[in-house]
Amino acid sequence: MPRTYEAVYIFDSTLEDPAIQEKLTRFHGLLSATGDIAVDNWGRRQLAYPIGARENGYYVVARFDVEPAVLPEFERALKLDDGVVRYLIALHEHEVGAPALSDEEIAAVRARGDDDDEED
Amino acid sequence: MRRQQKTCPFCESRVRFIDYKDDRALGRFLTDTGKILPSRLSGVCARHQRQLSTAIKRARYLALIPYIRGHQA
Repeated sequence: MPRTYEAVYIFDSTLEDPAIQEKLTRFHGLLSATGDIAVDNWGRRQLAYPIGARENGYYVVARFDVEPAVLPEFERALKLDDGVVRYLIALHEHEVGAPALSDEEIAAVRARGDDDDEED
Repeated sequence: MRRQQKTCPFCESRVRFIDYKDDRALGRFLTDTGKILPSRLSGVCARHQRQLSTAIKRARYLALIPYIRGHQA
């Protein structure tokens, strides 16, 4: 059963934009994703701390539905690519039809908070 | 002194899943040195504090927020 994953890539910011897009196409080709791959290009931004000698990175966020079995090969390709400074693949956590917290539940959470205060 | 009643800011705004990519929102739950703020101080409920800690650790790995702030190597 396919699951929804979210991947964040940090590319070397010295790469040209077409080169990055070309790499993305290659990576996403490995996935045989069902449905569309939503790609969000954040572009170049400063890293919160230097990674090696790099101060900047080109961030791309992608979301896709794939079989978990294809991920090891996908990750291997990412690891081997020198243009990818870092990547993170995580399950995309989203609503699965469960109802949002009701007012009663929120009241219960608050009531619990009150109890904590009492103990102090 | 009576402590002010605190409610979880995530429950308040009905957040179900904390986004690790939102560095501005996570920054609110870090100390000046970049540590995770204890829920005792922020009032975050246990469920959201667990999510928050995972989100902060992911954001750190992705260099969206620093591991330590104000450190001169």
